[in-house]
Amino acid sequence: MRSAIRAQLTTPRFLLFVIIVVLVAVIVALKPSFLNGAFVLAPLITSIAIFTVVGLAQMVVLSIGHMNIAVGNMAAFGAMISGISFDLFGLPLVAGIAAGLVGGGLIGALTGWIIARTGVNSFIVTLAMSFALLGLVPTVYSALSTGSAFVVKPAGFDALGRDSFADVCQFGYCGPAAIPVMVVPVIVVMVLVAVLYTKTRVGRELLLTGSSVKAAEFSGIPTSRRIVLAHTLSGVLAALAGILLATSIGSFTPSIGDEFMLQSFVGPILGGTLLAGGYVSVTGTLLGITLTLVIRKGLELFGVGIETLNVLLGVILLIALSADRVREIRLRKGRTPDASAPPPSDPARSADRSTEEVPA
Amino acid sequence: MKRSIASVLRSQSTTLVAIIVVGTVLLGIASSGNFFSPIPFRTFFQFLAVPILIGLAQMITVAVGQLNLAVGAIGGVAAALSAVMMADAGVPVWLGAVVPLVVGTLAGLVNGWLVVLTRINGFIVTLATMTILLGAQYALVSTRTVSAANWAPLADIGKATVFGLPVIFLVSVVVAILVALAFRYTVTGRSLLASGDNPEAARLAGISNDRSVIVAHAASGLLCGVAALVSIASLPGINQSVGGDWLLPSFAAPIIGGVALTGGSVAVLGTVLAATVVRLVDTARAEFQLAPAWVNFVIGAVVLGTVALGRVRQVRQERRLGAERAREASSTAILEKTR
Repeated sequence: MRSAIRAQLTTPRFLLFVIIVVLVAVIVALKPSFLNGAFVLAPLITSIAIFTVVGLAQMVVLSIGHMNIAVGNMAAFGAMISGISFDLFGLPLVAGIAAGLVGGGLIGALTGWIIARTGVNSFIVTLAMSFALLGLVPTVYSALSTGSAFVVKPAGFDALGRDSFADVCQFGYCGPAAIPVMVVPVIVVMVLVAVLYTKTRVGRELLLTGSSVKAAEFSGIPTSRRIVLAHTLSGVLAALAGILLATSIGSFTPSIGDEFMLQSFVGPILGGTLLAGGYVSVTGTLLGITLTLVIRKGLELFGVGIETLNVLLGVILLIALSADRVREIRLRKGRTPDASAPPPSDPARSADRSTEEVPA
Repeated sequence: MKRSIASVLRSQSTTLVAIIVVGTVLLGIASSGNFFSPIPFRTFFQFLAVPILIGLAQMITVAVGQLNLAVGAIGGVAAALSAVMMADAGVPVWLGAVVPLVVGTLAGLVNGWLVVLTRINGFIVTLATMTILLGAQYALVSTRTVSAANWAPLADIGKATVFGLPVIFLVSVVVAILVALAFRYTVTGRSLLASGDNPEAARLAGISNDRSVIVAHAASGLLCGVAALVSIASLPGINQSVGGDWLLPSFAAPIIGGVALTGGSVAVLGTVLAATVVRLVDTARAEFQLAPAWVNFVIGAVVLGTVALGRVRQVRQERRLGAERAREASSTAILEKTR
């Protein structure tokens, strides 16, 4: 029991949590205006919600040991489909969002299919996909919209993107203005992804595919289908992030998703998701994203320019990865006794490992 | 002899040359001959120098099984630093021309050193250094454009031509020849390829893979520096957008040119020809007045197609070899039985 608690305390997630708490305390002590609900906290939490979805979009491909360079462009594509459904077809909110998610999913599925079918490195395929979309999206916008933006808003559009719980009143009591309504769908998505990886067979198979494609194939997992699935999910999540961003800024533009790529890697990796695949952490992704965005907000409050922020993000990524590396080496050291054990237990052991390490 | 002609006809470079010839003819017809008059002709080659250089820069890292996301950022910082030094600090122009080369090499060394030291995936290391360098570039020039009037002698070289061909294009061709010679004849070049092809075999042959990675990144950085120098000489000014659109062309040229992404091979001629094809697409785009976004779309699609086709061809070849081997094995088995 005690060792279980100690194990929790030494995870990167706990460390991240402590850093975030200390950082927030320092910022609040120096700039009390940080606690302003409607003007500082609500926008901050909105961007945390959006970027967590972006992080999850990257996390699902990292879980099979792939990467998705095109997250931002898939977000732009999904948002574009939603924008078209609202603007040209006048669909209601839910139908338009669903159309966007399907669009993102199709692009992701196509990417996954190309990777699984040709066996080419996911980096190159998603890079090429990102440039194809980078060309396609602005072209469609300029062909179908005036002023390169879709601005028609269905009922509930602004409520999703801009309302906080202060606008949700029941029994004469209204919620806090610091928490935007958007957190509700995002929490639902986080729970769904966490359940996928911890409770379902498919999630396990994704992780096993990430640990070792060969071992996964030998245990009868259709790895090609799992690769397509992971990329499809990535496309859907990216599209969701793009649509949520559009609701919060109020219109659909081709520049949606421009900032997603770096953040999408920083969040999961800070949170302990392994680049090599086979291990993911949903809460870790949330905490990683929260840390970088709190730093960004803090710097903004202190009036520090965007260029310092970029430099800082790069440095954080390098440090986090060196830490990741150290952790991996330590993990391997901890496993050396097992390594001398007979090898046939290997696939089973990696499955066990994922059971222990995925937080519920 | 017959076979070698057939293999020449089937090679990637021949296909690319054919595409270039057809594309040039079509462009010539579409522009009613205007494309071949001196000024468009010169412009075409003038803006071909940078794509060739960054394609080669990427090719060198790919050859050792690495990649360099920071090509644009290294070039951007190198150009920005040199421009600011010449404009604000009054640094003489010859020194300003050396600065990008030094900055590029140093940045490449840091990349390689980080990859070797931390053993982190080269993708992530260069993603991180790219972000840092982009921040640095913005810090150097922020929103202003440093005018080329500050380095008039360099700008003159950028405009100079020999036999109608821009000097900077010839510089990039010379660099390409040097890279090709280095990979073919020097020990370092051969060991880079060995490390990229099979690190374990290279290690057993006494080659330091760490050294190969560092050398490749440093050389890649140096070529980015040369590309930065060429940009300084040829652009009307240097601002934060320099290098911003280098990433795709840098990957497109070697991939379309036939470099194996798994490392261990180079194709200098293919890379140069592929860069020319990309430049043709861009010129055609301008000729037909399409949105610049189209170029990205076309090149992205071509890269995907090339990669997929190459893989399909490889699988087919492996299957054929496997079938041959199986046939041989069964025939020897029959022989043994009859014996």
